[in-house]
Amino acid sequence: MTSVLRAENLGKRYRQGEKEVVALEGFTFAFPQGSTAVVGPSGSGKTTLLNLLAGFDLPTEGGVYLGELALNRLSEDQRAEVRLKHMGFVFQQWNLIPTLTAWENVAFPLLLAGLPPKARKERALELLERVGLLERAHHLPSRLSGGEQQRVALARALALDPPILFADEPTGNLDATSREQVASLLFEAGEKRTLILVTHDLELASQADRILHLKGGRLVRVATPAPG
Amino acid sequence: MEILSMVLRNLLARPVRSLLTLLGVLIATTSMVLFLSFGEGLRRSLAQELTRVGPAIQLVPEGMEGLGFSGYPEITPEEYRRAVAAGKELGVRSIIPTLFLVRGGFDPQTSFFFQGLPQGVAPDLLYPGVKVREGRLLPSAKGAIVGAKVAKRSQLSLGSPLRLSPRVELWVEGILEESGGLADNLIFVPLKPLQEVLGTQNYTALLVALNPGQKAEEVARALEASLPGLKAQTTGDVMRFAERALRISDLVRFGISLVALIVGGLLVANTVMMSVYERTREFGVMRALGAKRGFIFRLVVLEALLLSSLGGLLGLLLGSAVSQAINLYTLEQVGLALSAVTFRLSLFALLVALGLGLSAGILPAYHASRIPVVEALGRV
Ligand SMILES: Nc1ncnc2c1ncn2[C@@H]1O[C@H](COP(=O)(O)OP(=O)(O)OP(=O)(O)O)[C@@H](O)[C@H]1O
Ligand SMILES: [Mg+2]
Repeated sequence: MTSVLRAENLGKRYRQGEKEVVALEGFTFAFPQGSTAVVGPSGSGKTTLLNLLAGFDLPTEGGVYLGELALNRLSEDQRAEVRLKHMGFVFQQWNLIPTLTAWENVAFPLLLAGLPPKARKERALELLERVGLLERAHHLPSRLSGGEQQRVALARALALDPPILFADEPTGNLDATSREQVASLLFEAGEKRTLILVTHDLELASQADRILHLKGGRLVRVATPAPG
Repeated sequence: MEILSMVLRNLLARPVRSLLTLLGVLIATTSMVLFLSFGEGLRRSLAQELTRVGPAIQLVPEGMEGLGFSGYPEITPEEYRRAVAAGKELGVRSIIPTLFLVRGGFDPQTSFFFQGLPQGVAPDLLYPGVKVREGRLLPSAKGAIVGAKVAKRSQLSLGSPLRLSPRVELWVEGILEESGGLADNLIFVPLKPLQEVLGTQNYTALLVALNPGQKAEEVARALEASLPGLKAQTTGDVMRFAERALRISDLVRFGISLVALIVGGLLVANTVMMSVYERTREFGVMRALGAKRGFIFRLVVLEALLLSSLGGLLGLLLGSAVSQAINLYTLEQVGLALSAVTFRLSLFALLVALGLGLSAGILPAYHASRIPVVEALGRV
């Protein structure tokens, strides 16, 4: 799988009445395999960047490429298809579909991909076991703790074994113990993938292979944290 | 865990709201089924009744077609004589003059339906298959043969007096077996006393019995041609006329039930719209994970369809049950099953319910599938 995710001169402006807000400007970067953390102060454009990379939103300048595929030339549904096949997501919270149990949440991408029911359940349980939640398979999200919910979300992100993994503040609402647990699972999953992790948490970011610093919508520094 | 079970789960997650909506659709469908079942019931009874009537053609005054046997008798003895002559020429078996008289009020309990027969004609000539249970079948000049239901209702027995007017009194001479048809509710009497009560020599209708091999339509047209002022109706004509009238009344009754249906549809639309607003974030997550717009659209439309079709099905069941209850009552009262939930009515009711769900679901579904992913994700 050589589908490298690449941003070229990526920019996003929002028009608010008279004023124009530049949320992101001139962002160029090719995300290599391994984990890349995106850090920066509030309002620096982190979420905007993730929205564009994942094809949730379209840029006002530049483009996002997955290998040779230009994401902004695709339709809404085609981008959804790209996400389904190539990307996995863990958000800050309210990640899970509340009426589905843990295993059904994990199986949801498999349903979208058209796998037969039996294969879906087998795969979902296998993934839940990997994040240590097999015994919670039949619980609804409302009965899971925040850390457990994030682990289910991670299992779901890995359901179709995508090469790219996105996480936006995945540990934002967790206590220290859960944070450790989710972080280690996340980085483990990110080793052989392209993990793009948006966070305020410098401690979490320091575990990544590289750190992108955003400021005022611009990429100001690419750092490699000291190992250990 | 298929789409349908996701939809079902979502409805079950909000049980009270779903139940209330279901109830709305149920009531709307029940009322529609009942309204329309009366038309179906009348059609069915009419068809059954007509196959039971002996004479194939009825001669009635022009302008009275299809009205049955109500109103003042207008066929004069002169017209009767001409009809007999015309009938002889065409080779019909017999022409039987008859007269109807209704005594009593609107309440079928206290009403009496008299049918006058000429001397020597027994009720089984007009209603083949009727049998006498007690007494005789052919009334004498002062006698009356009473249908089973009338006898029971009014507690008539052999020898009971029947007063048609202060001067005309008849006696019960025979009681018929219950046949399940119109005859159960009639009292057969000689023509003369009825004409005396009405102060006329006229008849309500002339019934034409055919010989084997004769075609009702042909004979009817020939009779009409030679009898100006009279209309010859075959049972088919009566059916066609009744069908036209019933179709109009179907439309009227459907129009009335449309109000309930629209309210039911709005209920469904409201419920689904609320559930769409509440689940905006959820839809955002689904889209982020790779669900296409059509998936969200189907999810929402199915919710509306499930609500309305379930409500429709339950409404149909309840409607059928109420229709049965109504029939028990009307059979008892007038000997007719007034209401019928036929197969095609059931099908129609289910289709209307589905159409209701579809039209109530499409707008919320379209809305849900069009929310931009970023916006949907941003909402908690
Ligand atoms: N829909 C929008 N309309 C107008 N301005 C927006 C919109 N979304 C974001 N912005 C602006 O763009 C800038 C970048 O926002 P963004 O959400 O990407 O920041 P962030 O780095 O994710 O911040 P945080 O750390 O608080 O999540 C901010 O100034 C924000 O106000
Ligand atoms: Mg953000």
